[in-house]
Amino acid sequence: MTEQRIILEMGTGNDLYGEDYTKAACRAVQDALHHSSLVLFKSLGIDHREMRVQVTIGVQQPERVDVDVVTAELPRGRAEVNIVHGGLNVHDPDNDTAHVIATAAIAALLPIDPAQWRLNKMARPDRPMG
Amino acid sequence: MAKTHLVHQFGMGSSIRSHNYTEAAARAIRDALWHNSLNVADAFGFPKEAMLIDVEIGVQQPEAVNTEALLGIFPYGQPQISVVRGGLDVDKPGGGGTTVIANAAVIVSFEMEPRHD
Repeated sequence: MTEQRIILEMGTGNDLYGEDYTKAACRAVQDALHHSSLVLFKSLGIDHREMRVQVTIGVQQPERVDVDVVTAELPRGRAEVNIVHGGLNVHDPDNDTAHVIATAAIAALLPIDPAQWRLNKMARPDRPMG
Repeated sequence: MAKTHLVHQFGMGSSIRSHNYTEAAARAIRDALWHNSLNVADAFGFPKEAMLIDVEIGVQQPEAVNTEALLGIFPYGQPQISVVRGGLDVDKPGGGGTTVIANAAVIVSFEMEPRHD
């Protein structure tokens, strides 16, 4: 049975005054997570532990993100978090500060065999048009 | 097994200066859709055209939403739109008009069943 990506969730988060890259990353993860709900686990009786969760965080200083803290933001499935150079920092030279913006991309993958599923008769596109 | 819900998507949109409930609803739908890239049709081996898309919009003046104008937002699938009283209107200070906020929920389903043969 092959693993299929079912969704890519995208979000953004920032830390405005603390230059806290971990906090910005966690907020980006929450933003990405809370624009959708994967109700198919309940609809189809699938255990969420079957899901693999691939998280990519983009920030300007990847080494300043605490990966374990970000991983703890993902309560369902088996999460792996990667931090890469990305996001955006907005510098304020007058006050010598930066607003830190993080981007999160969360891919959810499930072992689904398309051969095990079909559309109902009425929903098949090849049905004769009445 | 009949119509099966697979994913719900959520969004918010506003019309700040034009008091346009349809535009606020359109932005809420785009917010819901473009925070996610859905692969469920491919994952189950279904054509994207078979996707059933039930959209619920919440705004303070449901009758002011032109649902026909919202159907063109959806790149594929079979959208159906209902509007209820919800969202939020916020008056500007000094009586300078009203800012409109719309909530959108996009419910993605297929008429699907396990293959037994």
